[in-house]
Amino acid sequence: MPSVLSYLIKSISIGLLIAVFLLIFFPPLRNNHELPFAEQIETYSRQVESYSSAVRRAAPAVVNIYSQDYQRSNINSQPELRPTGLGSGIIMSDKGYILTNMHVVEKADQVLVALQDGRLLTAQMIGSDAITDLAVLQIEAENLPVIPQNPTYSPKVGDVVLAIGNPYNIGQTVTQGIISATGRTGISSTGRQDFLQTDAAINRGNSGGALINSRGEMVGINTSAFHVTQTLDSYGISFAVPYLLAERIMDNLIRDGRVIRGSIGVIGGPVNPLMAKLWGLEAQKGIMITGVMDGGPASLAGVKASDVMLAINQMPVTGVTDVLDRVAEVRPGEEVKVKLLREGKEIELAIEVADYDELQLKE
Amino acid sequence: MKKPISIFTAVALSTALAFGSLSAQAAHPVAIQGQELPSLAPLLEEVSPAVVNISVAGTKVSRQSIPEPFRHFFGPDALAEGAKQPFRGLGSGVIIDAKKGYVITNYHVIHQADEIKVTLNNGKEYTAKKIGEDQQTDIALLQIEAKNLTAIKLANSDELRVGDFTIAIGNPFGLGQTVTSGIVSALGRSGLNIENYENFIQTDAAINSGNSGGALLNLRGELIGINTAILGPNGGNIGIGFAIPVNMVKNLSAQILEFGEVRRGLLGITGGELTPELAEAFGYDTQHGAFVNQVMADSAAEEAGLQAGDIIIKLNQQKIRSFNELRAKVATLGAGKEITLTLVRDGKEQDFKVTLQEAKDSNIAANSLHPALEGATLSSTDPKDKVQGVLISKVLPNSPAALAGLEEGDVIVGINRLRTKDMADLRKIIEDKPSVLALNIKRGNASLYRVIR
Repeated sequence: MPSVLSYLIKSISIGLLIAVFLLIFFPPLRNNHELPFAEQIETYSRQVESYSSAVRRAAPAVVNIYSQDYQRSNINSQPELRPTGLGSGIIMSDKGYILTNMHVVEKADQVLVALQDGRLLTAQMIGSDAITDLAVLQIEAENLPVIPQNPTYSPKVGDVVLAIGNPYNIGQTVTQGIISATGRTGISSTGRQDFLQTDAAINRGNSGGALINSRGEMVGINTSAFHVTQTLDSYGISFAVPYLLAERIMDNLIRDGRVIRGSIGVIGGPVNPLMAKLWGLEAQKGIMITGVMDGGPASLAGVKASDVMLAINQMPVTGVTDVLDRVAEVRPGEEVKVKLLREGKEIELAIEVADYDELQLKE
Repeated sequence: MKKPISIFTAVALSTALAFGSLSAQAAHPVAIQGQELPSLAPLLEEVSPAVVNISVAGTKVSRQSIPEPFRHFFGPDALAEGAKQPFRGLGSGVIIDAKKGYVITNYHVIHQADEIKVTLNNGKEYTAKKIGEDQQTDIALLQIEAKNLTAIKLANSDELRVGDFTIAIGNPFGLGQTVTSGIVSALGRSGLNIENYENFIQTDAAINSGNSGGALLNLRGELIGINTAILGPNGGNIGIGFAIPVNMVKNLSAQILEFGEVRRGLLGITGGELTPELAEAFGYDTQHGAFVNQVMADSAAEEAGLQAGDIIIKLNQQKIRSFNELRAKVATLGAGKEITLTLVRDGKEQDFKVTLQEAKDSNIAANSLHPALEGATLSSTDPKDKVQGVLISKVLPNSPAALAGLEEGDVIVGINRLRTKDMADLRKIIEDKPSVLALNIKRGNASLYRVIR
C-alpha cells in the first residue's frame, strides 16, 4: 500500500516538474489561444461597451473654426468683421498646425479657432489646396492637444469610425458609422470618388473635423456636404480625405505654401480590348493617349494622340490613376522617360515635367 | 519495471497539464468572428414591451386669424380666431412603474389632448389618465390600469460618457415600434431654445417625429433618457437628436407623484456662462462652469452665502458644464431639496449647502384631478402665507368649477372634513374617488363650504 502511494506521489511530482519546465521553455504551449482570445475579448468589449476612450483621446484636438470677413455695413462706411464661415479643424502637431477644409477658411479676412478648453485664438493661414479642399492654419499656444496618429493603420471597409465636429455650431458632436469605401492616397486625387466614404452623420459645420477609428487614431478629415444640395443633409453618404493623403498635403503646404503637382499635359484612357488584341497588348497594361495639350510638355517632346503609354522611367504603367499619381509626384523641371507604342513600334521619349497649376493657367 | 511506468505516467500527466488549457479554452464559445455575432435582439426582447405607442385626440383652439377684409375669400368655413379644431397626434411613452401603470412621455405629445390612448407592443390598448405635466421641461406622467406590465429600469444618466452606445425605441411616423441605434454625441447640450430648461443628451440614433416620449437606452437596457426633439432642416433625422436625461425625469416624476405638480426649485441667482475672457479677468484656471452675476435678496443662494462673482463648478459633486445645465438641474431637483454646490471663490474651491426654495410658477389644471374641478388652476399656497392650503389661482368663466361656486383667490383648506395643507393632501383625498367633495374654503376672512358631485 505505501509503495503504491509513494509511486503515485513520485510520478505526480515528476509529472508536475516536467509540466512546469515544458511551460517555461515553450511559452506557446502556455499561450496557445490566449493572445488572440484576449485581443478578441478586448476588441469585443470595446465594441460593445463604449467608444468613450477613443473620444477622450481625440476630441480635445478637434477645434471649432469661425471665419470672419470685413464687410461694409450700411449705416456707416467703416468696414467691420462679420462671421462668414463655420467649420471644424484638427490640431496635427504641438507646433500649432491645424488641418481644415479650404472652403471653410477661403476668402476669410480673419480665422478664429476655438479650442475645447475654451481658448479662442486667431489663426494664421499657411496654405490651401483646392483639389483636395484642404487648408493648413497655425495657432500659437502652449499645451495643445494633438490628434493621435498611426501611419501604419490602413482603413478597411467595415471599420467602425467616429466623426467629431461642430454641426450647425451646436457644440462638439460625435457621430458613429463605418467606412463605406476606402480612398486613395495619391496626391493627384481629384475629389470625392477618391476619398474615404462613411455613413457617420456629417453635416454643415462638421467640415474639417476628424474621422477617427475605435482606438481614437485619425482616419481622415471630413469634407462634409459642401457640394451636396442644401436640401439633403446627412443621408448616410459622407466623405473624408484619408489621413495619409491629408498629411502629405499638409507637409507640402507647410514647405511650399501650396501643393506642387507635376503634369505632362496629356489626356488618356484605358486601351479598349479590341485594340489591345490587335496590338498584342493583352498581357501588358497601358493607357491610350487621347489628347495632347498644345505647347504642353508632352507635345514639345513629340507625343501624339493615339500613342499608347507603356512605361514611365522603366516602370510599367497600370492605369490612368497610376500615371496621374506618378507624374504628379515629379517635381516640375525634372525629366521623365516615357515608353510609347506607336504604329506597332516601341519608342522612348524624354519629357520635361511642368507645373500642374501653371499649365492650367496657360489653358 | 516500476521506473519506466512512473516516467510514462509522469510524461502523460505533464502533457495533459500543458495542453489541458487548450481544450478548456476551446470549449468557451467565442461570441464573435462568425459564430455568434453581436446582436441587440436578446436585450430588446426584454425591454421593448416597456415602450408604448401613444395616440391622442382632442380639440385645439386656432391661434391664426384671417383679417376681417379677407375673410369672405375663404368662405363661411374659414377658421375664426379662437375656433376649435379637432386634431389627432402620435407619440411614444415609457412604462416606469409596472404595478401602478405609470407611463412617462413628452408634454408636447399629450398637450391639449382630451383622449389619450396607450397601445402596448402586444397590441392591447388602454385609455390613459393624465397624472401631471410640466410644459417647461416637456415631461408628462400618465397612468393606465393594466396587469402584467413590463417596466423599464432607470439608469443613472450622470454616469454617461460621450461615445457610449444608445438605443432609441419609439413609434416614428406612426409606423409601429421601431428600434434605432447610435452613440452619445454630446452631453449637457443647451442653448437650442426647444424647451425652457435644457440639459439634453445628444445622440445620432435616428429619432423622428413620433419618437417623442420614447426611450433612449444604454446597452444594459436601462433608460437613460426620453427622446424629445431633433435638429433637422427638413424635419427629418440628420443624426442630431436630443433626449431629456433620466435623472431629470426621475426628479420630475417624483414631484408630480408627490405634489401633483412640478415644484421647481429656486436658487435665486442670475448669471451666465463662464467665458475665457471672464475667467482671465478673474484670474481663474477653470474653463467650465456657471458665473454668478447677482444674488437675489432673501433667496436660497443668499441664505447659503453665495456671492456675485462666484463660479459654480459642481452640483452634488457632478461637474457643471454651463449655466443652462445648472439652471435645468436646479429647476428639476424640486423645491425643498438640499443640494451641495462647489464653487470657486478667490481661486479656492468651497462647498456650500443650499436648500432650494420654490419657484412661483407651479400651477396645475384641476381637471386632471377631478372632472368637477375643470376650469380651475390650483397650486399649493406659499409657505409664508397666513392660510395654508390649495390656492385657486384662476377660474375660467362658465366652467364646472365656476358653476360650483369657486372663485379666484379661494384657498381650499379641507375636503370632506380632512385637512388639505397642500396639493399632495388634496391629491390623496381625491384619489380615493369620493362620490361627493365637500370643499372647506377660506375666502378672505370668511370660511365656507362648497359641495361638488
